[in-house]
Amino acid sequence: MTSTLDISKYNTVISLICGKDFVVTAADTATARSIVSMKHDTDKMFKLGGNLMMLVSGESGDTVQFAEYMEKNIQLYKMRNGYELSPDAAANFIRKNLADYLRSQTPYQVNLLLAGCDKQTGPALYFMDYLASMNKCPFAAHGYGAFFSYSILDRNYREDITEAEAVELLKKCIDEIQLRFIVNLPSYTVRVINKDGIKDLPNISPKRIQV
Amino acid sequence: MTSVLSDINQEESHYAPKQAYFNPYEQNGGTVLAVAGEDFSVIASDTRLSQGFSIHTRDLPKTYKLTSSTVLGACGFHGDTLTLTKILQARLKMYEHEHNKKMSTTAVAAMLSTMLYSRRFFPFYVYNIVAGLDEEGKGCVFSFDPVGSYERETYRAGGSASAMLQPLLDNQIGFKNQHGVTKTPLSQEKAIKLVKDVFISAAERDIYTGDAIVLNLITKDGVKVETFPLRRD
Amino acid sequence: MALAGVCGFQQNVAKSPCTLGNGISDNLIDGAIHSSHNFTMPSNFDPVENLKQFTDPKSDVKIQFNHGTTTLAFKFQHGVIVAVDSRATAGSWIASQTVKKVIEINPYLLGTMAGGAADCSYWERVLAKHCRIYELRNKERISVAAASKLLANIVYGYKGMGLSMGTMICGWDKKGPGLYYVDSDGQRMTNPIFSVGSGSLYAYGVLDSGYKWELTVDEAIDLGRRAIYHATHRDAYSGGVVNLYHMKETGWEFISQTDVLDLHYKYQEEKQARR
Repeated sequence: MTSTLDISKYNTVISLICGKDFVVTAADTATARSIVSMKHDTDKMFKLGGNLMMLVSGESGDTVQFAEYMEKNIQLYKMRNGYELSPDAAANFIRKNLADYLRSQTPYQVNLLLAGCDKQTGPALYFMDYLASMNKCPFAAHGYGAFFSYSILDRNYREDITEAEAVELLKKCIDEIQLRFIVNLPSYTVRVINKDGIKDLPNISPKRIQV
Repeated sequence: MTSVLSDINQEESHYAPKQAYFNPYEQNGGTVLAVAGEDFSVIASDTRLSQGFSIHTRDLPKTYKLTSSTVLGACGFHGDTLTLTKILQARLKMYEHEHNKKMSTTAVAAMLSTMLYSRRFFPFYVYNIVAGLDEEGKGCVFSFDPVGSYERETYRAGGSASAMLQPLLDNQIGFKNQHGVTKTPLSQEKAIKLVKDVFISAAERDIYTGDAIVLNLITKDGVKVETFPLRRD
Repeated sequence: MALAGVCGFQQNVAKSPCTLGNGISDNLIDGAIHSSHNFTMPSNFDPVENLKQFTDPKSDVKIQFNHGTTTLAFKFQHGVIVAVDSRATAGSWIASQTVKKVIEINPYLLGTMAGGAADCSYWERVLAKHCRIYELRNKERISVAAASKLLANIVYGYKGMGLSMGTMICGWDKKGPGLYYVDSDGQRMTNPIFSVGSGSLYAYGVLDSGYKWELTVDEAIDLGRRAIYHATHRDAYSGGVVNLYHMKETGWEFISQTDVLDLHYKYQEEKQARR
């Protein structure tokens, strides 16, 4: 079980940057089994609501099952009540589920990032791991890529960062991962969430290394 | 100081968690062999039941007649064989009462597969071979793994001497690695002769095979059982 | 299903358990007699840990399940090609050279077998049942996406219990050709090309370098066959014959069964002739 989790760590890198009125998110597109990369256009982002998205990594099987379980429950909440769960409420709901399953026979081994933009409270970004710890932060990342990204984010992040600057910062992180990380991650999906909803940006491919 | 340390280490090894699993299985040996012909099939087994270096009995055939045209060969752990054949017999009886007909060999094979799989997480340690006639009256042999993966074949050896017998059958019945031979269909006489011969060879080299062969010849007239002696040492 | 809910229809009508003799029903035997969907286990039991002791090569009692494989499938302009080898191994012993690793679920769905032979054939048979029930309820064929998700959800329920299965569900539905990968981790995904099993790395090599969407049917068949041949050549756990299927709008068609020995000499001759 642990070895499988390690493999997924190699391959899944997620990093996001939270600006004044938006969140930019990126996730790599590789799906691997053993040493084989089986699919190069996986979408690891799950749309939970009009202004809410979840990015998942971790144990294969668990990730999609848990993400779809949360997605359906949050959609059900909207159907029952006529309004959506706020990003903060959704984060607490998801954390509670992770925590409850952690103490069951079948815990979900899923690491995730939750990105949303509320009309009243503005953008929000939550970091959550499979042990159900949760943290609200301006930027976050999961997987081995996080080790390469965090210092770049610490160095360059500003609270008043613009959307274009945020995408450039993501590219910096992705280029560093390409340069220093042993695993090949050729493409990343990129999306922006603001009060108008979720918008697709063109995929980012890392800069070629000059030798 | 050293003595104190070693004392601690001893303590530790004494109280170290020990894990012991209950082992409900045993390897009781024995070999079964089945061959399918055009309008007949032959299934044979030796009659030795052993455990380690001891022989429990010299008179335990490992073939079980299920219907007038189906015979099961089963070896591995005899306890599981008994449980399995008991349940099989019960299921066959239930089928006969519900449908007012005997179960076909192909149906027996399909049922056995799901029965074995129902114990997927706590398997029957039994290697099964089912021989008989299919719905068209042709000879058929089905071989199984312990959790119910099965396949229809024309010949198959199972059990302790299977690794010795199977290559021989590949050559003699499957005509494997023979060049320029005419692949003649197997006659009843040749099949029986071959089965006897390979069992005699197996008894020469496998300690878990010997004492006697019980040979079941399945034709449209029913099952004919014959017994032949093997080495008893 | 909504209608079923409104009518109060219950699918699991409680079976009246048939008791043995004096009315005491034995759980172990009951399970085996009445249903193959109830898996018999002692309580508080870890099947994975328990099975470890029987796969120990030093032990007298060895339960070795049939394993080892190369399977592949790919989509192209004329449908899906499915190619597999036919060897089953139990440890280093070749248990069979004649395994049918393509499972014919129905005329529009094929499944492949890699991992535990019993796990694949059993659960894909269960899938076949569910697909048939879907057809009867909805008066239309199940989509490949739905069928594969059904299988993924079933095996996900047994996660951590030691099932071993890597399968490709291939079919044709309203959206055209469909190809999904489902495994016993519960993972499910779609892609134009998949290869699964111990020989898959070798198969990928040939497949990736010869693949394009615009392949003709004959080219695609040859590519599938070649990829499996090269996998059987390098991977000791793969071998036997190449079984090849073509999934078309009209359903699947069995194309060929070729002994890899014959392929070896054929390809060798072609190489010689080109010199």
